Amino acid sequence: MATATIAQPKGRRSTRARGVRVFKWSVLSPLILLFAFLIPVFLLQIYFSFHSWTVYLSTWFDAEYVGLELFQEVLTEGRFWRAMGRSLLFAGLSTLGCFICGFALALLMYKPFRGQAFFYILFILPMLTVPVVIAYTADMLLYEKGPINGFLSYFLPGDLSKFTWLANPDVAIFTIILLEIWNWTPFVFIIMLAGLSSLPTEPVEAARILGANRLQIFREIQLPLLRPVIFLALILRFLEAMAEFPKTWGLIQGGPGTATETIPIYLYFTTWVSFDISKGAAMSYVVMVIMIFIVLTAIYVLRREKRALDALHETSRAEA
Amino acid sequence: MNRVQKARLFTIFRYAMLFIWSVIVAFPIFWIVSTSFKPDWEWHAWPPVYWSQEASWANYRAVWGRTQSPRATSGEKVATETARYESHSANKPWQALWNSLYIAITATALSVAFGAILAYGVSRYRILSEIRMFQLLVLRMIPPIVVAAPLTLYYSAIHLMDTALGLIIVYFITTLPYSVWMTKSFVDEVPVEIEQAAEILGATKWQAIREVIFPLIRSGIVATFLFILILTWSEYLLSLMLSKVDVVTLPVQLAKYEGSDEGRVYGHQAALAVGITLPLMIIGIFIRKHLVRGFTFGMVKR
Repeated sequence: MATATIAQPKGRRSTRARGVRVFKWSVLSPLILLFAFLIPVFLLQIYFSFHSWTVYLSTWFDAEYVGLELFQEVLTEGRFWRAMGRSLLFAGLSTLGCFICGFALALLMYKPFRGQAFFYILFILPMLTVPVVIAYTADMLLYEKGPINGFLSYFLPGDLSKFTWLANPDVAIFTIILLEIWNWTPFVFIIMLAGLSSLPTEPVEAARILGANRLQIFREIQLPLLRPVIFLALILRFLEAMAEFPKTWGLIQGGPGTATETIPIYLYFTTWVSFDISKGAAMSYVVMVIMIFIVLTAIYVLRREKRALDALHETSRAEA
Repeated sequence: MNRVQKARLFTIFRYAMLFIWSVIVAFPIFWIVSTSFKPDWEWHAWPPVYWSQEASWANYRAVWGRTQSPRATSGEKVATETARYESHSANKPWQALWNSLYIAITATALSVAFGAILAYGVSRYRILSEIRMFQLLVLRMIPPIVVAAPLTLYYSAIHLMDTALGLIIVYFITTLPYSVWMTKSFVDEVPVEIEQAAEILGATKWQAIREVIFPLIRSGIVATFLFILILTWSEYLLSLMLSKVDVVTLPVQLAKYEGSDEGRVYGHQAALAVGITLPLMIIGIFIRKHLVRGFTFGMVKR
């Protein structure tokens, strides 16, 4: 950009271009070296996916070559696919929950009112906690005769002191989804708040003058304009939720049984609890391929939406 | 219903909803703070004790104090449990705090410094194309667990296991996308013309960066630094796998407070948890205006 805007004599431009090139490679080469340093990680992963190895073998290079057996084992395993399904359920529902709560709060708060700053600070706090701390706090709060049941029994009928949040396999997964929603609603909230307050005001004014009601304005004008921001929030949240590990592990380690065993938990379990390194590596490979596919799709959508967002900001700036 | 009534109704509705959400947000935070001040017989009490009549700093002294706390007095079992727990983790929190500080600050500083230089290059000379910038995000979006096993083996092979350097390297790489994107959003806001004016007045490139650009984006750099610090400070998974004894960080240290099967030592966990989280909240509130930029890779502007 900068180079194009100034007209310069030919000779000077070429030294400048060389200067830029030198700068470019002096910045990028350490980065490339660092990645090169990590290439063996991926080679090791391939090696272990094709060789059956356990910690009981003394050296890792005399493991037996088993071809695609490990992949076959992973891909035909019910437990793996159930974990995948659970991960998708967890990520999907928690993203939806975060989005509904975060967007609703942002809609309530984007216009100035008394106490706005106070509520903003309070509402971002869950995002600023350490995930492991959330796991341990949840452990303190959620047992049968714990404070949450104690607190809820003021409002709800029935004996809550028998309600189990964590020990019941049908409930546990929803408990960790609720925790994820508690933790990350602020993320959607701040994005949507920023999105709402950066919207151009003219279209809304125009619609109001033309007689549109609140709902129509929201649906026909604000929502379409917010589309890039909504996509951004949903995608980033979904991807982070797919990788969620510390809360679930810290709280119930995928239990009771395998009721909350998501993909990260199962991977960790296979590798560090069963010490089945080879199966873990093959599984990582499968997960990595699936995740790269999801991430590349996400990046494609993000790029498209970023362009739309930039265009929106360009026009609103040009009008101002 | 006229306009004024409608507006009043909306105000009431708004405060009611915000109040409900405030309770949801504040209750767990309140509970962990309150537990950290409770004596041990109130940790599991039913009906729950909301605020202890005998609040004291005992849990903090037990966790953070150099001298051992007075033994629990409420019955044999608790006392032995506490003793067992204390014997295997005495003074470890300070060690973990030091590790956390040292690793998080070093990795963050490197990441931001490098990210800022790269961001400058991208913003002014497009040394990375737009698609490369997005590909950089893959580093952050692929769950770290998928490379964890081979990474651990590789680290043991080259003796980086359980070292600060090992953790600093992985934190540097995983936070780089954030630092580049976030600092880029600050550099983008500085008009190119200012820089060119300085150069026309005879400044060298380097002088222009140091005297003109840097002061303008300094607060942005600080915000980025603090933002990345939040991420590295609370990271759990990588630290759990790549450290054993020597470089245990605070989040991993917290997970070691399982006590025994009979019951967790809630009060001590709470005291440690407050110690871990409080700095994070203060930093976060301090840079609250910039959080959006950080978490969205600078894609949402305010």
